[in-house]
Amino acid sequence: MIRNVLILTVNDLAIAFKNKTFLLILFIPLFVFVTLNLVDQAVVDAGKIRIGLLQQETLATEVMQNISAAEQLVEVTWLENPEEGNRLLKERQIDGVIIRNEEAADSLALIVLKMDSIQTIAIMQTFSALQKVAEGAGPDWITGINSLHEGGVQRETLPTWVLMLVLLIGFIILPSQVAEEKEKKLLLALLQTPINEAQWLIAKLLLGMLLIMTAVLFLHLLGQFGPVHLFDYVAILLAGSFCFSAFGVFLGFLCRNQASARTLGVIFYLPLLLPSAMSDVSQQLTAIAPLLPSYQLYRPLQSILLENASLTDMTFDWIYLIVLGSLMSYFSYLLMKRRWLM
Amino acid sequence: MQLVVENLAKLYDKTRGLAPTSFTVDKGELIAIVGHNGAGKSTLLKMLGSWIVPDDGTVTIGGIELRNRKSVVGKVGFIPEVPNLFDFFSVEYNLKLFARLSRAPMSRVEDILHEFNLQSFRRSKVLSLSKGLKQRVNIGRALLADPPILLLDEPTSGLDFEMTREIYRLLQAMHSVGKTIIFSSHRPEEIKGLATRIMVLHQSQLVFDGPPQEYFKSEIHQKLYAL
Repeated sequence: MIRNVLILTVNDLAIAFKNKTFLLILFIPLFVFVTLNLVDQAVVDAGKIRIGLLQQETLATEVMQNISAAEQLVEVTWLENPEEGNRLLKERQIDGVIIRNEEAADSLALIVLKMDSIQTIAIMQTFSALQKVAEGAGPDWITGINSLHEGGVQRETLPTWVLMLVLLIGFIILPSQVAEEKEKKLLLALLQTPINEAQWLIAKLLLGMLLIMTAVLFLHLLGQFGPVHLFDYVAILLAGSFCFSAFGVFLGFLCRNQASARTLGVIFYLPLLLPSAMSDVSQQLTAIAPLLPSYQLYRPLQSILLENASLTDMTFDWIYLIVLGSLMSYFSYLLMKRRWLM
Repeated sequence: MQLVVENLAKLYDKTRGLAPTSFTVDKGELIAIVGHNGAGKSTLLKMLGSWIVPDDGTVTIGGIELRNRKSVVGKVGFIPEVPNLFDFFSVEYNLKLFARLSRAPMSRVEDILHEFNLQSFRRSKVLSLSKGLKQRVNIGRALLADPPILLLDEPTSGLDFEMTREIYRLLQAMHSVGKTIIFSSHRPEEIKGLATRIMVLHQSQLVFDGPPQEYFKSEIHQKLYAL
């Protein structure tokens, strides 16, 4: 009996090896290790906070002296106006803007991108420490915090959930379906009818886009999250779903069977999801994330859902998504023409 | 409709695939391609069915190159060895889907169900059918667009005696209505009274092309299939 179990186990391992499952076994721990290292590194970096101060606004002398004295901890950017501060915050070039608190005399207000972020905590801790050094006891200098992102934690995490749905359908569901059609020779059967490669490809892209839009709509219905700019939101979602559906179909074409397609899908899914979703908690991930195609969808989603931005502010992002999607569709078309791995 | 093959080749390695091969098939012929496993039968049929892209050579159907897919689509029906149907759907769904895509009238579906004795299975999922029944549905599907040329890759592979006879009966019926049929088999004795012409492939080469009576007397048959 033990012998049989061993033989079967070895056979299962051989199948796992053939299906490239072993790649996942190696890839996931490696990916997690690299990501965690980047996040940990970011905590050390977070020791130095980057704040913006308005040029025309005079803060208390004691505050200014302490900020100047703490140059190892605080990096100051002088701002011409509040709009510049908002822009630099959105571009992640500064962590917060310190202004006079109009509602409480002799105290400061902090403007940040997100209320619950390590940047906000770092600024609050640093200013609290500076105040303790300067005055000993007494109330904190910062008595108010305003966030550019609207809504609570649920809304804050919404762009990540939407991105997750888009990538899940694009990289897990679609490649499997394409690989299945190839594996069972269904695609070849379809191509014996008057339909051509382009029509099949368009149908697959439409399927991906439809699944994504339905999933996102369902998410919104459940959570009752209403975007402010509906047209802009739908437009960027369509561009994103087109891009990642095309990407998924292309991945499906690179695989001979469903198991390989799933493995390859996960290998793309995780790196594209996590750095974008975690970029707010790590400056290093913030630097890497823009290099990933998923970031060109994540950023506009964040801007529209949390910062009330419109599509005109993100021309590069949607053009990028459409160009990348078109390129992937073209590659798939070429592989279909060559009857690649069919 | 004449099918002309000129220097058609696809080699996976030195002995696997098909070395440059030329032949002509006239309308209404019933050709059996014979050879051992790996001789190149499936490769040849798959190239004729546009399933794989040849390394070299040309195929013309009625004077139109096979590469001109738009013009030849519907002229060739290819039936693979393993039925390729949408397993989770019914027989009727599969036939109707392909009828729509082939722009064939829906009455063709009923004709095929009747012709292939599939009426009682019309609502059965393909998944639940035996291999022989699946093969019947597969052949029926290929006939929806009424192609003048039919290619069948080992249509009786894995079928029992009764089902094999049934498939050959269907081939004869299709041949009698004027269809050009090319099918492969690695059991020449089976197709003795069926084919009007036999082509033998051996190690990627076409080594015989002629009438059955000539083939069964030939040295090649003795050499390849001597017990």
